[in-house]
Amino acid sequence: MTIQLTERMKAWIEGLGCHLCTAPEGIPNVVVAPLARVVGPARVAFPHSSDNFKTLYPKGFQKSWVSFGVSHLGSVRAPYQFKGVAEILYEGSLFLDLIKEHENQLGIAASVVLLVNVREVYCTKPGYLAGQRLDVLGYDGMCALEKSLGWIDVPSSFR
Amino acid sequence: MKFSPAMKRALTVPKDGGCVVYLATTSLDGKPNMVPMRYVASFAEDKVLLADMFLLKTKANLKENPNCIVAIAYPIDADRGRWWAFRGMAVVMEYDMDPGYDWYGSKAGEVLEKWGRWEEKEPPLEVPPDIVYGVAVQRGVVVLHVTDAYSLRLGETGREVLER
Repeated sequence: MTIQLTERMKAWIEGLGCHLCTAPEGIPNVVVAPLARVVGPARVAFPHSSDNFKTLYPKGFQKSWVSFGVSHLGSVRAPYQFKGVAEILYEGSLFLDLIKEHENQLGIAASVVLLVNVREVYCTKPGYLAGQRLDVLGYDGMCALEKSLGWIDVPSSFR
Repeated sequence: MKFSPAMKRALTVPKDGGCVVYLATTSLDGKPNMVPMRYVASFAEDKVLLADMFLLKTKANLKENPNCIVAIAYPIDADRGRWWAFRGMAVVMEYDMDPGYDWYGSKAGEVLEKWGRWEEKEPPLEVPPDIVYGVAVQRGVVVLHVTDAYSLRLGETGREVLER
């Protein structure tokens, strides 16, 4: 099934950055990626400094699952967990744009861009929706669910 | 290994000045799962406790693979920074377990006695009404035995931060 992230999902991902988790060896690794850009219907790009990338992939990059959720969440305002498979970019216009943006915004050089192709979206709101897989609802279904639950807020930078 | 006083302050529920954390687990074949948790506490000198409420994949993962991470999610900038990830092995201590069950020095009986009815002990008063759940159903307590901790701060990610 083709996934298209909702506008609210995109706003939270780009507005606050994300915590990312990999586990190619069956042992989890977590980092914070302050800069995130949605570059396709379900593709999210994360530029990484070398220390971040080494923590995420201690034995070097392996094509494996990545899980990520929005950072700086005080009370689960963006109750989403995204899972996908990553590829890495070392060149190209997207790579160059994001490397530059990372350095300009954060003052730290990035060396690689992790591109996650989202294949699954889950709800992490406590209660009956916890663990509900959302992408199976389709784009319209996800938008309708957000609306029905009153999930209309986005980070202040997007208002 | 032991937590610093600042870490102990961070590892409490948000209404008491603590943090929302991410609990990251993984299946044995390497598919990670990461969920936000509000009920968090430190215990002894090297344990992080989390309430087993609404856990599905997390619990399935822990039953086949105890390796996990608790990472501070919010507020990560409080004090002089709470850019920490705590790594170790966890078990879910569930009701009806042998009270003498021991996980790296922590007994199930003691943990469940103190944190088995966590919502009554530390109700989610700070959580907005549109977000808080209706009924809490706690099935146990996740006990993480921390073996190492590292920084999440950009530029020094991965650097060990736990006192030895």
